[in-house]
Amino acid sequence: MLITLGRLFFLFVLCALWELVSIQQWINPIFIGRPTQIVRFLFDGLFVNYELVIQAYWTMVSTAAAFILGSAFGILFGFLFVTYPLVEKFLEPIFDGLNALPRIALAPLFLLWFGLGLASKIALGFSLTFFIVLSSTVAGARSVNTDFLILAKTLGASPASVFRKITLPSAVPSIFSGLRLGLIYALLGVIGGEIIAAEKGLGQLLSFLAGSFKTNGVFAVLILLSFLGGLLTYLTSKIEARLLRWR
Amino acid sequence: MIEIRGLSHRFGGEVFAVQNIDISIAAGEFVSIVGPSGCGKTTVLNIVAGLLPTEQGEVAINGTPPRAGRHDVAYMLARDSLFPWCTALTNTEFGAEIRAEPAESRRRKALALLEAVGLKGFEDKLPKALSHGMRQRVALARTFCLDSQILLMDEPFGALDAQTKLQLEDVLLQLWASMRRTVIFITHDLAEAVVLSDRVLVMSARPGRVVADISIPLKRPRSVSDLQRDPHYHELYAEVWEKLEEGMTGMNTRSISLA
Ligand SMILES: Nc1ncnc2c1ncn2[C@@H]1O[C@H](COP(=O)(O)OP(=O)(O)OP(=O)(O)O)[C@@H](O)[C@H]1O
Ligand SMILES: [Mg+2]
Repeated sequence: MLITLGRLFFLFVLCALWELVSIQQWINPIFIGRPTQIVRFLFDGLFVNYELVIQAYWTMVSTAAAFILGSAFGILFGFLFVTYPLVEKFLEPIFDGLNALPRIALAPLFLLWFGLGLASKIALGFSLTFFIVLSSTVAGARSVNTDFLILAKTLGASPASVFRKITLPSAVPSIFSGLRLGLIYALLGVIGGEIIAAEKGLGQLLSFLAGSFKTNGVFAVLILLSFLGGLLTYLTSKIEARLLRWR
Repeated sequence: MIEIRGLSHRFGGEVFAVQNIDISIAAGEFVSIVGPSGCGKTTVLNIVAGLLPTEQGEVAINGTPPRAGRHDVAYMLARDSLFPWCTALTNTEFGAEIRAEPAESRRRKALALLEAVGLKGFEDKLPKALSHGMRQRVALARTFCLDSQILLMDEPFGALDAQTKLQLEDVLLQLWASMRRTVIFITHDLAEAVVLSDRVLVMSARPGRVVADISIPLKRPRSVSDLQRDPHYHELYAEVWEKLEEGMTGMNTRSISLA
């Protein structure tokens, strides 16, 4: 409680100082903006002209699509690799090569293929999420307690029930940490794609505002992004806590 | 019925882990195997369980060779190996479920067994909420929930503290008395072997052979604490101890003097 008060006070002092420096032009406001104006921009964007809401909506839609597709395919391929090691052997060098590539470098190619719309952002987010979820799924499915497998063998369990009753639940904790990271990276990919070139989204807005020296707007978008990122992480850890009560 | 004839096994062409083992166990008999660490107890059990191939010799379980997954054999490990994501009840049912027993009858059996092992009221608890001893009770219940006539147990109480172990021995005695299974029970604890068994087999140090077969004619039903006051129990204990010591040292000196 005291710490919270202390933090608020500290934040207040910081903003007051920031405001003062900005008003007095000790530092050019083009570089640092002005707290009151930032709040104003946030408020207008959220409640008056809805600019931020609209752009956040597009970013979130792309992020959700990239995340869902990326994790679905990541989990699918992860279990495919564990079940059929030959598939993994075959694909591993290709996947390793792709994974080693700084994914942002794919942005121009995706723009070429999918245009300025959402699809190219989704592709970029997907390319990040997929590999994260893939490797966490593989790690999780490989971490199965060998005692469980011995038990299943002596019981005469079929491969399908071993998968359903042992491998899958054993892998869930690891998959979840992959999903949590994958979500943040989906957002990263989408924002990155939007900054590079897009018609919609917070990333596009960000680069437009920065390009026209609207520093207050830039800060407002950054604050909103940090809030959204935090919200996503919070939601996943809530879901995780529910599903993994047995831990 | 378990018949083992001239069983030998080595890992990767090294010296023999077990050599020329003959064991014959009648239906409904409780047989313990004791012996120094590394003498091949687990190896023998795993061959019977079908987890290791029979390389030399013959093994017959109810007349057929071992195979992992056959329904007349149940296997229990040293670690409780309960699924952390399942409750005590679903863990107990697991084996029966895998073996496609109808949901209703396995549920009924699991509930009765949990009560028998002293866990009434803990059916819906997750393993993390249970103590070591309680978890091993669940593992016992899970093993008995299978209809397998033959139970193979590899130091099931090896990881428990002394007191808990005594309690679980009593639990096992009761379960066995009421359900009569054929049991091969591996242990390091001679007292445990004597308390539980109809016969105690003593194995020598590597390469493991059976050096003594001591029958334990203590009357049943038994209880761990009553046996402590029974002089006959202590005599049998001393006998097993002596044979074990011979197996650890005697065999070696004899083979040296022969050479
Ligand atoms: N997979 C394996 N590969 C090679 N050697 C093995 C393997 N498993 C067991 N051994 C060897 O075979 C011998 C018998 O092992 P085993 O596990 O059967 O002994 P044990 O009597 O069960 O010992 P403990 O009482 O310590 O459990 C040991 O010397 C061990 O080193
Ligand atoms: Mg062993």
